[in-house]
Amino acid sequence: MSYTIASNLKQAIKILKESDGKAQVIAGATDLFLENLPSELVDVSAVPEILGITRGKDFLSIGAGVTHAEAAASSVIRSEAEALSEACRIVGSPQVRNMGTLGGNVINAAPAADAAVALVALGAKAVLTDLYGSSREAFVVDLYGGYNRSSVDSSAEILMRFLLKPAQRGEGSAFLRFAPRAALALPLVNAAARIRVEQSLIKEARIVIAPAKPAPTRLLETEKLLLGAKPGLDLWQKVKSTASSEIEVRGSMLRCSEEYRCHLVGVLARRVSQQAVVRAMEAE
Amino acid sequence: MPIDKEKGFDAKNNSSGATVNQGPDVWAKAAGRALYGIDLQLPGMLYGKILRSPHPHARIKAIDTAEADALPGVRAVLTASDIKKKRYGIVVQDELPLAYDRVRYIGDEVAAVAAVDEKSASRALEALNVEYEPLSAVFEPKAALAQGAVQIHDQFPGNIAWQRELERGNPDRAFKEADLVVENSFSIPSVHPTYLEPIACVASSDYPGNLTIHTALQSPDIVRDIIAGALELPFSKVRIVGPVMGGGFGGRVYGNLKLYLLSSLLSQFTGLPVKMQLSREEEFCIGRPMIAAELKIKMALRSDGTFLARESEIVTDNGAYSAQAPWVSKTLSERNDSVYRIPNIRTRACLVYTNKVPTAQYRAYGNQAANFACESLIDQAAEKLGLDPLQIRLNNCTQAGDTTVHGLKIKSCALKDCLKEAAAKIGWSNRNKNCGYGISAGIHASGSLVANKDFRGASARAVLELDGRVTLFSGEQDYGQGTYGAFTNIAAGVLELDPDLFSLNCRDSLITPYSQGALANRQTTIGGRAVQLAAADLKKLIEEAASEMAGEPVRMEKGRLKSNDGSIMELAAVAVYYHNRTSGLTLTGEGSYVPPPVEYDETSYGNISVTYSFAAHAAEVEVDRETGAFTIKRIASVHDSGRIINPLAARGQVYGGVAQGVGFSCYEGYLFDRGRVVSKTLADYRIPTALDVPHIACCFIETTDPEGPLGVKGLGEVVQVPVPGALANAVADAAGVRVTELPITAEKIYRAISKGECAR
Ligand SMILES: Cc1cc2nc3c(=O)[nH]c(=O)nc-3n(C[C@H](O)[C@H](O)[C@H](O)COP(=O)(O)OP(=O)(O)OC[C@H]3O[C@@H](n4cnc5c(N)ncnc54)[C@H](O)[C@@H]3O)c2cc1C
Repeated sequence: MSYTIASNLKQAIKILKESDGKAQVIAGATDLFLENLPSELVDVSAVPEILGITRGKDFLSIGAGVTHAEAAASSVIRSEAEALSEACRIVGSPQVRNMGTLGGNVINAAPAADAAVALVALGAKAVLTDLYGSSREAFVVDLYGGYNRSSVDSSAEILMRFLLKPAQRGEGSAFLRFAPRAALALPLVNAAARIRVEQSLIKEARIVIAPAKPAPTRLLETEKLLLGAKPGLDLWQKVKSTASSEIEVRGSMLRCSEEYRCHLVGVLARRVSQQAVVRAMEAE
Repeated sequence: MPIDKEKGFDAKNNSSGATVNQGPDVWAKAAGRALYGIDLQLPGMLYGKILRSPHPHARIKAIDTAEADALPGVRAVLTASDIKKKRYGIVVQDELPLAYDRVRYIGDEVAAVAAVDEKSASRALEALNVEYEPLSAVFEPKAALAQGAVQIHDQFPGNIAWQRELERGNPDRAFKEADLVVENSFSIPSVHPTYLEPIACVASSDYPGNLTIHTALQSPDIVRDIIAGALELPFSKVRIVGPVMGGGFGGRVYGNLKLYLLSSLLSQFTGLPVKMQLSREEEFCIGRPMIAAELKIKMALRSDGTFLARESEIVTDNGAYSAQAPWVSKTLSERNDSVYRIPNIRTRACLVYTNKVPTAQYRAYGNQAANFACESLIDQAAEKLGLDPLQIRLNNCTQAGDTTVHGLKIKSCALKDCLKEAAAKIGWSNRNKNCGYGISAGIHASGSLVANKDFRGASARAVLELDGRVTLFSGEQDYGQGTYGAFTNIAAGVLELDPDLFSLNCRDSLITPYSQGALANRQTTIGGRAVQLAAADLKKLIEEAASEMAGEPVRMEKGRLKSNDGSIMELAAVAVYYHNRTSGLTLTGEGSYVPPPVEYDETSYGNISVTYSFAAHAAEVEVDRETGAFTIKRIASVHDSGRIINPLAARGQVYGGVAQGVGFSCYEGYLFDRGRVVSKTLADYRIPTALDVPHIACCFIETTDPEGPLGVKGLGEVVQVPVPGALANAVADAAGVRVTELPITAEKIYRAISKGECAR
């Protein structure tokens, strides 16, 4: 087995290229270590090009190698992408948050990965670089290739950064999860929302829940209901019932019944939207 | 709050001002220096692995070992045909080291291999070919009891491993005369002790046939008995040496007998030491969880809340083999009857074989499982009668001087004060409207004598070494509960010497007195008493030898040897004097504590234990009615465990026990799919994390028990007993509905709420 800690992007690409598809990218190793490790690994967690959090004029750029702990501690993320901040704060346990990265969270492609759910709700784009140095951009939601399968081949492409629109005026986001224990537990349901209000009316809404499909899933009917609406008891009641009926979820013996998960989808969609609206109004 | 910052808490001294030593293991563990079973390495050691049945019930038609035998590195392949067909067991004899013609659960041991490394052993398992003929299987006790159900053991018709019918007083009359009768059914799944270290052992059989097993056990001498019997070896040829134990919680009283037997057999066959070690998954799938139970209980009360009678119908799920399940079923079915004054009792209990993982015991022996049911029902009754849950308990609780309905003689008991204090600590009289509150009480035998009526006590030796230090020998075991610290403190107290002058030998059966070990809350109570007597005996011997040496009377006072004129002698000088005079003997004090004989009749009415510990816990819980999610905010845990000689370790017991009780009540529980364990990893078998355990307010009400040494009583098990009842009642109070099936989860609360089923 060979394990190289790459000190820059060029070196990482070189090793990947020379291994003929045998080498794979590894970052925090919190997911990859649980599986049978490939024989060649390129550790990118020290590659400067994929680290750091920067706030541009109209974008927020978060390195794929940023750990959950770093993201949770970042004041920029808290003010510009609060849902992501909340999601990263609750991942696994302190050890997992100290090691695990946002890039790994997305590429590992677990259906209810917390950071990924927030990133999808925030409409984040991923920037990827292939072995010939050319890069492409894709929405995070489009990086899924099936249950627990990414469409990104980590022996041929490196996820570099996430690009997000910073919070606009009148915009707020939130993340919530419902898990059977306070740490180290997969969520029964997690949800994230990004909402913009203008003069007390909802002008934009993205509501995402998981696990339902391979990728974090937008609740399009619920979003439609929210658009143009004035927040109030009536609306929230409808959000709950629409959310729990517009999407199919599964039950399992180890987690919870289908019926209960469905109920939770409704409750969490409503709560996370309400929270995002409260924040949006504060930002108006 | 950090416990050392709590008001009035002093970790270094106990309430009588004696300094406290935490025992030798504590520092080794804290420094990462302790060696556990998993660390063991012996020269020439082989690695053993077990081939397990993939079927819940099947006939073994043929086993082909040729291919495995021929593999490089493989030193032995054993099947049932290589060993004697001799059944063994703890209560009933229903097990063989390897399945002979039938497998009875998924995981049943079919063959064992030993090889030069783990990889070769795994390859050997893959190369074994077993031909099975699947048989129909039965997974639920009700189905196993049904007419025509498949028979799991020929010698146990009807799949009944054990049963019991019991009547005290006149329950029929009591139910007839009652103003109120309440009843409900409760169910409790199997739980695993989930000790941190999966069981590991190295067995080493030498040429003359001496067998040494290196493994950490709570009761090594009892296991020696069983191993010697099963392997037909003389008892004196079986030695057990213990590394440090990575937790036990009752699960290591007998540990995993199969593992010890198979590694011993492999060592006998190969002449080399053989190491075997369970994986975490094996621990869950074939390690021995506690029995699952279904309880149907009925209570009769007078309108003023006086308890008149209780009737219980209990079915416990034994799994495929029995281990201690009959004893656990017995404790489960009767111990809670002695928490209160209940004059009339009827109990039917039945332990049933199913094609699932065999069961055994867990801390508190099922007492906590029944507590959930009994204490839930008391709250149901209180509500019907419009009585305060605290008051109804205060009115009925057992008190000092009582002989309980099953004949337990209560010589010391602060249960009433425990209840009052638990209520005070949780703020019972000033309850927050947004939360739910529950209270529960428990009793547990401390120094139970039923395991062996004839061998009730313990013995110990205390030796004055030539350097003036003292070495203690005891067969009792410490697995984190602080026994070694307690023994050191007890002996140091008698001899009035610095605890640092003491060394302890407990882990090698070759040199320690035979003991019953760490079960039934007997370590400090009974083992400690033996140490106390051994130390007193040593003191007498030291004084005699010193007097002889000085030619005048010498007394040992405050740890110093003084003659009449005030001159002082060194302990080492006396030790050497005696050693020389006898050409090699050492001053050795012996202590033997034999508790008063137990008298109990065939219905086991009688005083079954040296003494009894009591506890009352109160819980505060918040419930989110929309999802059923709940937060346990606080648990007040108040204990009567007699005198507390090591306040720090005692608190450790309470915190750990309550945390486990929280797990038992709200998180843990086996899940099966047609006999297959589904919850087989720590990700899926969820024990609470640090964030799930609430603030625990801990308090001791010290009584002085006439039987325990220095007035102490057991604590290790009773700490878990009242937790399920307190939490169930708090959740019911907060949610307005009652969950009768453990673990209490958000989903179950949500379902109960949405059914609107006000079963309270
Ligand atoms: C005990 C435990 C608890 C957990 N709890 C949670 C939880 O609560 N919520 C949650 O969402 N997750 C949880 N996880 C999952 C895990 O921690 C996260 O998914 C984490 O973010 C993965 O990141 P990593 O850097 O460790 O990935 P790695 O394990 O290093 O890699 C994962 C995958 O991503 C690929 N990869 C990583 N970085 C890149 C890159 N820059 N470019 C291309 N490919 C890349 C790897 O090749 C691999 O296929 C938990 C894991 C454990 C072990």
